[in-house]
Formats: sequence, C-alpha cells, structure tokens
Amino acid sequence: MELVELCRILLLLLLIACAVSVNLTKSLLHAVIVFMSYSTVMCLLWILMESPDLAITEAAVGAGISGLLFLLTLKKIKQLGGKDGNVQ
Amino acid sequence: MRKDFDAWLDGETELLDRLPEAAERPDLSLDELSRVRQEEAVRIGALPRTRALAEKHRKRFRLGYRLAAVGCCLALMFVFLYMTAHISSYGQENPRATEVSDRYVRDGLEETGATNIVAGMILDYRAFDTLGESHVLLTALLCVIVLLSIDEKNMRSPYGDYSQIRLERYFPTEQDSILHKVGLVLSPCIMLYGFYVLLGGHLGPGGGFSGGVVLGTGLILLSASMGDGVTDRFLSRRRYHAVIFCALGFYSFAKGYVFFTGANGLENHIPKGTPGAILSAGLILPLNIAVGLVVALTMFGFYNLFYRGGNGEDYHD
Amino acid sequence: MSEWICFWITAAVLVAGLGFFAAGVIGNCRFAFVMNRIHAAGLGDTMGLLLVTVALAASTDGILAVGKLFLPLLFLWITSPIAGHFLGQIEYFTNPKLYDHVKRK
Repeated sequence: MELVELCRILLLLLLIACAVSVNLTKSLLHAVIVFMSYSTVMCLLWILMESPDLAITEAAVGAGISGLLFLLTLKKIKQLGGKDGNVQ
Repeated sequence: MRKDFDAWLDGETELLDRLPEAAERPDLSLDELSRVRQEEAVRIGALPRTRALAEKHRKRFRLGYRLAAVGCCLALMFVFLYMTAHISSYGQENPRATEVSDRYVRDGLEETGATNIVAGMILDYRAFDTLGESHVLLTALLCVIVLLSIDEKNMRSPYGDYSQIRLERYFPTEQDSILHKVGLVLSPCIMLYGFYVLLGGHLGPGGGFSGGVVLGTGLILLSASMGDGVTDRFLSRRRYHAVIFCALGFYSFAKGYVFFTGANGLENHIPKGTPGAILSAGLILPLNIAVGLVVALTMFGFYNLFYRGGNGEDYHD
Repeated sequence: MSEWICFWITAAVLVAGLGFFAAGVIGNCRFAFVMNRIHAAGLGDTMGLLLVTVALAASTDGILAVGKLFLPLLFLWITSPIAGHFLGQIEYFTNPKLYDHVKRK
C-alpha cells in the first residue's frame, strides 16, 4: 500500500472520529473546538484530492472564521463554560 | 397605517423615531417602556386601535397565510413530479450526466477564457448559483441584524444605535501594546494575500469566496487588535451596506446582460482576452471582486455585530 | 555518498522536529495547569516547526521554494507567542487560585 493511501485512510478515520465526537461532547465549547479540528482534517483531505481552491476556503472558513463566530455566539448565550456558566 | 407606511417608504418620517427610545428613558423599567411604546404605536396608527380590530387583522392574515402555503406546496409538488418524469430510469445510461462535465473540461478554456476551470464553472456556466450564495450570505447578515436588534438588552444603552455600542469589556485586547504592534504588521499581510487570492481567481486556485474570507479575516484581526474605532473610521455601517448593495447589483446586472444576450443568441461584446493574462476571462475577474467584497464584508459584519452589544448579562440593572 | 549524508541529516532533523511536536501534544494533554500547557504548546509551534522546516528545506531545490517554506515559520513565530502571551495574561487575571500552582518567593 502506498504511503499516500495510508495517510488518506488515517485522515478519513480521523474525520469520522471528529464528526462523531462533535455530537457526543457535552460541552458546547468542546464541540466547537472539535468542529474546528474537523475542518482542518477536511482541508488536508481537499489537498490530497487536488483541489486547492476548496482547501483555502475550508481552512479560512472552517478552521478560522466559523470557529470565531461560534465562540462569539457562545459568549452571547452564556455557554462558554466556567463555574457560574460564564467566563468573566 | 397604510399612509404611515407609505410615508416611511418615501423617507418622510421614521416610524421608529417617533417611538420613545430606550436611551431617552433610562428611568423606566423595561415593562413600562414596552407599554409606553405600545401606546405610542397605537397613537400614531402603526398598531390597530382596538382588540377586535387586531383580531380581525390577524384572522385575515392567517387565512391568507394558509392559502399561500397550500398554493406553494402544490406548485412545488407539480415541479418535482414534472422533473421526476424526465429522469432516466435506474441503471440506464444517462448521457446528460457525463455530457456536461466533458464539455466543461473540453471547451471550458475556450468558452470562458479562464485557465482555472473551477472559476470558469462557478462564475460563468453556473453563475446563477454563485449569485444565490452571495444573496444567502446577505440574507443571513440581515437576519443577524434583525435578531440582535429586537433584544432590548442589546439596544438599551446610552448610545441607542446598536452599531455604536461600545461595551466596556473585562479584558480590552486593543490596549495591549504587543497585540497592537503585531496586528499592525500582520493584518496588511493577510489582506494582501486575500487580494492576491481574489484577483488571481481565474488564473489559479482561489476566487471570490476564498479571497473574500481571507480579506474578512484580515479585517477582523485589524478590528480586534486596534480597536473598533479603526475599522469604523473607513467602514461605517452605512458604507458597508452600500458596498454590498453595489457589488450584488453589479453582479445581477452583468450576469443578467450575459444571460439575456446568450438566451437570445446575440453577441455580448465582452472581450475574453488572452488566457493566462491578469485582465482576461471576460466577466470573471470583476465578478470575483464583487463576490469577494460581499463575502469579506459579510464575515466582518457577523463579527462586528456579535462582538458588540450585551454580553448576555443584564448590565442595565 | 554526499547524498546519503544529506538524507540522514535531513531525516534526523525531521525526526527531532516531530519529537518536539509529540512532546508538545503529550504535554498539552497531560499537564493540568494552564501555564504548563501553554509552554508545551509553544514548544511544538516554535522549535518543532523550525526543525521540520529546516529538514524540508534541505530536501528542496530552488531558492524560491525554500523561501516559501520559511514563510509559514515566520508567521507562526509571530502569532504563536502572541497566543501564549494572551492565554497566560488572561489566566493571570482570572484565576484566583493561581498561586496554588506557582512557587512563591
């Protein structure tokens, strides 16, 4: 088996693990962080599939901006964690 | 009500201006304020006068709503069944599925003039899709503005207007001198890269969406590291609405022209240029710029709107 | 012969860089206190990335490709310490039990 093929299978397994654990985590903050790592893995997979367009977009949107917006939303609805439900 | 609405459309009077502002009456509690606003709204005719009249309006609206819903469902069912009747049955050779992609790969460079065939596809063959996506982004931004504006906690501040709220944060990042300097160095680099991706979309990997997102990230970094005032100075709320409107309007008109001439078999007089040059590929470069501006400003607008206003805490009491 | 020397040096530097990354990841998962975890995360981002980039640059031809390889290193060397700085600062301001973990003089 080629090394690239092995990498692809590993990344796909990691992708499935991330996608499942987004649903299984209790804390919304953890879910957001796992979702960002899902996007990073997806970005690598796009590069392996030779579509750098989508890789750039996925890296900027998935791992960057959408994580930021999710965190800001969590701040608004007081779900960032911490002892009294809100990080000061 | 109708007259007031017409007047509001004409810009003569702002309906909301005549309602008592939250900022003007800090002495009232929220319940009293909403009661005063309701009375004022009834007085100027924005709300129906009596309860029976309001009930009548509501009933009429519900009837119309149900009729419209049934009509929409029937129309959709008809469209879907009509489409299904034209799909070839399972297992049969479907020439239409491969014909299109074959043609894109074979004639894409010649017909669109873009060396990046993906850009040619999404901005020439399937430009209607991309227009819809840009409008979805704009709609999402408008929904965020509406949803955040109906919350009294967000509006109730000495400034009144949502876009001007400056909340005193626990940890003001822009006062940190290290982040200040780094933001000064990094955000121009990020924006430069964003422009490169945006302008080179028809030549290599990149294009409107990716370039716009990178540009928006640069704006967010600038705003986070230097303070809201820096971006407000060159990008007021009014101005970014104007830019988004112009970009979407340009996109719609340009593609409308191309579709119209193409459907009627006319010459559209847009030069393709030599493939590979920066000024080539016809309309793809300006459309990339329009989409990129919309995406960048929408992303920055999301950040800006969520960042401001209430922390989710009742800071007025 | 010289090719083999180049290969082995590259491999050694690459493995050393990956070792730094592994140390960073393990430390990030195993340490309990935030400051220690910041230290572990910064280790991978600075030293590990430097070694990996040097190894990759040694196996690449052309000055332009090598320059492109060092650009991410430059930007991560700017941003990663900033992130560490902020995390540490926020921890310092918000954790009331900070001195349970820190030895006081």
